[in-house]
Amino acid sequence: MSHILAVRNVVKTFGSVRAVDGVSFNVREGTITGLLGRNGAGKTTTIRMITGIFMPDSGSIEWLGASTAAEFRDRIGYLPEERGLYRQMKIVELLLFLAEIKGKRPADVRPAIDRWLERFELTDKRNAKIEELSKGNQQKVQLIGTLLHDPDLIILDEPQSGLDPVNMVLVRNLLRDLKNEGKTILLSTHMMGEAERMADDIVLIHRGSVVLEGNINEVRGSFGKNTLHVEYDGDGAFLSELPNVKRASIVNNAAELSLLDGSDPQKILEAAMGRLRIRKFELAMPSLEEIFIEKVGTETLTEVVR
Amino acid sequence: MKKLLAVLKREYLQTVRKKMFIVMTFLMPVLMGAVLVLPSLIMARGMGEKKIAVVDGTGKLREAFTKAPVATEGKPEPSTRPGRRRLPENMRVEYVDAAGKDADEAAKPFLTRMSGAKETRIDGVFVVPADAITNTDATLRYYSRAAADFMSQERLSSIANGAVQRDRLAARGLSSDDVDKVLRTLSVDAVQLSKSGEEKKGGIANFFVGFMMTGLLIVPSFMYGLEIMRGIIQEKTDRVVEVLVSSMSTQQLLIGKILGVALVGLTQIGVWFIMFGAVGAFGLATAAMAGENVLQLLRPSTFVYFFIFFVLAYLTYVCIYAIGGAVSNSEKEAQQLIAPITMIMMLPWFLLVAIITNPDSTLSVAFSLSPVFGPMTMYVRILVAEPPMWHIVLTILISIATIAVFFWATAKIFRVGILSYGKRPTIPELWRWIKVA
Repeated sequence: MSHILAVRNVVKTFGSVRAVDGVSFNVREGTITGLLGRNGAGKTTTIRMITGIFMPDSGSIEWLGASTAAEFRDRIGYLPEERGLYRQMKIVELLLFLAEIKGKRPADVRPAIDRWLERFELTDKRNAKIEELSKGNQQKVQLIGTLLHDPDLIILDEPQSGLDPVNMVLVRNLLRDLKNEGKTILLSTHMMGEAERMADDIVLIHRGSVVLEGNINEVRGSFGKNTLHVEYDGDGAFLSELPNVKRASIVNNAAELSLLDGSDPQKILEAAMGRLRIRKFELAMPSLEEIFIEKVGTETLTEVVR
Repeated sequence: MKKLLAVLKREYLQTVRKKMFIVMTFLMPVLMGAVLVLPSLIMARGMGEKKIAVVDGTGKLREAFTKAPVATEGKPEPSTRPGRRRLPENMRVEYVDAAGKDADEAAKPFLTRMSGAKETRIDGVFVVPADAITNTDATLRYYSRAAADFMSQERLSSIANGAVQRDRLAARGLSSDDVDKVLRTLSVDAVQLSKSGEEKKGGIANFFVGFMMTGLLIVPSFMYGLEIMRGIIQEKTDRVVEVLVSSMSTQQLLIGKILGVALVGLTQIGVWFIMFGAVGAFGLATAAMAGENVLQLLRPSTFVYFFIFFVLAYLTYVCIYAIGGAVSNSEKEAQQLIAPITMIMMLPWFLLVAIITNPDSTLSVAFSLSPVFGPMTMYVRILVAEPPMWHIVLTILISIATIAVFFWATAKIFRVGILSYGKRPTIPELWRWIKVA
């Protein structure tokens, strides 16, 4: 499959801070790529270079099927992390404006506006001003603005932050539909669970550098089946003390244990059976969260926990 | 280009629909009119009616003080200016013939009435001593409730003196016809001689028209400059700007915004000119009746130059406001930053009297040929004098160069500034933004 976007060794410095330090990755056409990392890892700066807001200090952004940067811009749909709309404008006015600055003629997008408003249940509010809408509805309008000009590459920076569970599912389904239509999506998030559900490929950025990149299943596979999912009745606190257990996260009556390389899961089962009533015992690929913690180190974990 | 137009259209429509635009469009002419009309109204009418008792010890000034009041305005009598020796319309005189009595003594009951019951209260007492005609050292006395009622005092004194002079001349055997001829004052016609040798009538009206046109020239720049600044800050705080700059270049965005709001300014001025046209036709007729030729100031070229210098002044000022908006995080912060700069930009306005009265002085020429101040000052000079063509062309070139530099710097600062939240940059930081972006 061909790349729609290739980021090549880009660097961006602000004052004395190297926000992005030689990041490279590819985005394959028709896939969802998860851009992962903690807050402040350099995700947003990388995205701003892709969307042409910042020029990289060095390195380059390459793209497929557009001859100029300006043309490429029009084929991107970008939902920034910092949401914002003209509060005084009416929904339809604003959407027409957003399509116009992407090079569309107002008349051409009117039917699409109607379709999108229908889909997001905003049809009856089409003449309301933005400031009259609830926060959730404002987010929906912004999402429509991102997609209205039918972009080939959709870049979403933390699309689910601040959404309620219902809208979260709505966005998730929307991304699936878009992918099925052949759109390419770059999804920046710090929510590992979401990325695991949605992404085909992942790019993990830490402190301005890519620490892990590739197909999500291959990435997880490369870490081996060294994770145990255990569910039990009883007090399982001792599980983290067992030999060969590198790290444990225990919540209620379930434990996720990462084992040292070459250790035998059977031994763990024996030890556990002596003191607990086991309901589930599964050897699995590590979760993205596990991999994330593995890659960026426990020193970060303690920060995260705090 | 399409994107630039989209920004321009949005900016224009959003601003024109705002209450401020509508209010200013209709309020501004009223305010301007008030500034022009109020001073003359106040001068003509003082502060309402004045009741004055004139206690005349000579007993010979009755005619001068009881003549029917004559309007200050209106058609001038041939070769005399009206009014100076007549009572103003708002003055009611109670004439007291105190011939053969002690005038000071006769004045006493009136002095008590100055602080008496409201119905009989009077505002002043004017005492003419009995020897006013014979004694050249006699003193007139004016008692007044207001501390600095110099306008009434002036008028009463000139009426009394006129009448006293008449009597003195008559006492030396002149016929009343001859007295009239001797005392007739001559009026002055202000004539402006242009380079081409053409004679134009000048006058106080020119001064006011100069003020008004200059106000019209710059007020929209400052008003909509502020509007642009607010808009940019709004986009920053509403976080709209990221979507905008990911869709177009900052130059497109900036030019679109500035031109959009420039069109708003031109629309407003267009409306004002139409309103003034309607009201002005009446005003011009009145002014012409008063012998003031305002039309010579309002030649077609006046409007062409107005357009040119309005656009130049506007683009200059607006860039400065756009920078203010781009580097600030809140309106309050921006106001603090921009207030002193506005004061400096307004310098020609504060010096307007000096520039209008001495349009060819070194000060005026220097201001008109300097960046930022140029468009406004040069327009004033064109309005009231005839600066050499090369001055005008030079001002236009300097202004265009200034705007080009401002645009370039603004676009760069804008690019970095609109996406940086937090501390306002220092001057060295700004300089780095210009170099880096």
